Amino acid sequence: MTKTFKRYLKLYGMFLSQYLKAVMHSRTDFLIGFLAFFLIQFGGIAFIALVFRQIPDLMGWSFYDLLFIYGFANIPRGIDHMFTDYLWLLAGNVIVQGEFDRYLLRPIHPLFQIIAQRFQPDGIGEMIIGILLVVYAASKGGIEFTAGKIILLIVMVIFSTIIYTSIKLILASIAFWTKRSQSILFMFYSMSEFSKYPLAIYHKFIRTFITYIVPFALTAYIPASYFLGESSLMESLGLTVSISLIALALGLFIFSRGIKQYESVGN
Amino acid sequence: MENMIEVKGLTKTFKSYKKGKGLSGTIKTLFKREVTEIEAVKDISFNIRPGEIIGYIGANGAGKSTTIKMMTGILNPTSGFVKVDGRVPYEKRQENAKHIGVVFGQKTQLWWDLPVGETFAILKEIYQVPDAFYAEQMKYFDEIFELSEFMGQTVRTLSLGQRMRADLAASMLHNPKVLFLDEPTIGLDVMVKERIRKAIKDMNKRYGTTILLTTHDMSDIEELCHRIIIIDKGQLLYDGGIDTIRRDFGYERKIVFDLRYDDAEVVGAILQQMRDEIQGCTPENMTYTLSESQLSVIFNRNEINISSIMNYVLQHLNVIDFSVKDMDIEAIVKRF
Repeated sequence: MTKTFKRYLKLYGMFLSQYLKAVMHSRTDFLIGFLAFFLIQFGGIAFIALVFRQIPDLMGWSFYDLLFIYGFANIPRGIDHMFTDYLWLLAGNVIVQGEFDRYLLRPIHPLFQIIAQRFQPDGIGEMIIGILLVVYAASKGGIEFTAGKIILLIVMVIFSTIIYTSIKLILASIAFWTKRSQSILFMFYSMSEFSKYPLAIYHKFIRTFITYIVPFALTAYIPASYFLGESSLMESLGLTVSISLIALALGLFIFSRGIKQYESVGN
Repeated sequence: MENMIEVKGLTKTFKSYKKGKGLSGTIKTLFKREVTEIEAVKDISFNIRPGEIIGYIGANGAGKSTTIKMMTGILNPTSGFVKVDGRVPYEKRQENAKHIGVVFGQKTQLWWDLPVGETFAILKEIYQVPDAFYAEQMKYFDEIFELSEFMGQTVRTLSLGQRMRADLAASMLHNPKVLFLDEPTIGLDVMVKERIRKAIKDMNKRYGTTILLTTHDMSDIEELCHRIIIIDKGQLLYDGGIDTIRRDFGYERKIVFDLRYDDAEVVGAILQQMRDEIQGCTPENMTYTLSESQLSVIFNRNEINISSIMNYVLQHLNVIDFSVKDMDIEAIVKRF
């Protein structure tokens, strides 16, 4: 088991070092992507700042609270974006064009091969912005970070990332039956925007929906609310961990059922 | 072990759903779908012994690739079974993958963005090839495929011939017991084809690798295969030695001449004369067709010397261009 894990880790390192080399070669691409991303993020933050010029607080949430949640949302999203971007292509043309064949011909897990197929450097920007915002909002908003809390934050980020990946995996795997599932993946993925703001501002239906059905609330608001003193550790960590593990198990299950059902294509 | 590959009663049926036209049609199909079943492979059985090189032949859409996909574990059969080296490939997919090598001529199995050198380093890790054997294999591949020519290039920048050499080497790196080669020479020029055939033969000799290959090129078959299996419309048509095929079809050659004159009568008269003048030119051994200004002569090269036909035609007719062709596999399948 550990031997297999080590082997996969080594393999991933080999792929990653190649991708990073390629990124370095096309530095302009990288810089433009980076710049575009910062502009988008700047827009989002400016929007929150503008709203708070008009109102002192939003249902009891201060500007810095919101900024904290907003920043937190970017961290797991960015990490997932970096490592599992190829799931979008699984939902796109990979199955229609019979490209999936090759993942079934190697003696390593097909999901690993899909993930190792791409590294998306754009995700680094998202993650960095997220970390900067979280640190800034915490220091201005008076949230004290002990070593223990930092470790907790990292743990929560890991499980939040698992939720992102699992939701993408579940929706991309639908393509095994429908040949393509990019539009449905896009539709649900867009709901992650909801997670950037406090749940309290939404209708009860949406709250339930993004906590239990498409659990994006667990990628930002629910874990962040612990650090903002709005919910207990048990509540936020417990919910995040358990739902992320359920989502991951479901994703892996649907993926492997999908492979059994895979029909390839003729030449 | 007696059989390296065992195929029994293998059948694959694809279901396809008819889509209704327009919005109402789409909604209708949501509730009631019309299913059409396509039998791509029907009740095929054969056995392959270790070390054999088998030509797996059929027209496009005959079911060759579908069979190979079941033998490599990509597809599950509808009924019947496959065993490769004692394993059922679609049940023990990853275990089976360790012991086979696969090349699809139409599509590379390699990583588009990686340099060729790095590709092999990664494959070494995936198949856990020991260091010493890896070094030996890479040296050997460099001899037969001249890989060092393009080791530093990424796969996406390779020419078709280079890519095929890289793909073949990649499929052989871990010294698989069975190689499945689907159209390994498609689109390649004669020199590269020759090199690839030599490598396939060499692998088979060196390690006793069992090889199953599909091709449209009759010379691939003649040079490599001891035995061929022909399928058509998903069904087994012929399974046996190459000799029968060679006796019946292998010695047929076709020369196509482009002529400056297209007066059928004149040409016909000259060819009638040729029958009398060249030895063995009976209607059995030589036939010709004339369409527009193109003359095709099909003859048995065992009975008639190719140079005598060439001489005669070039002397008596005004030839702009000519080409000599092997009989193609489609034509052979059709005659069965």
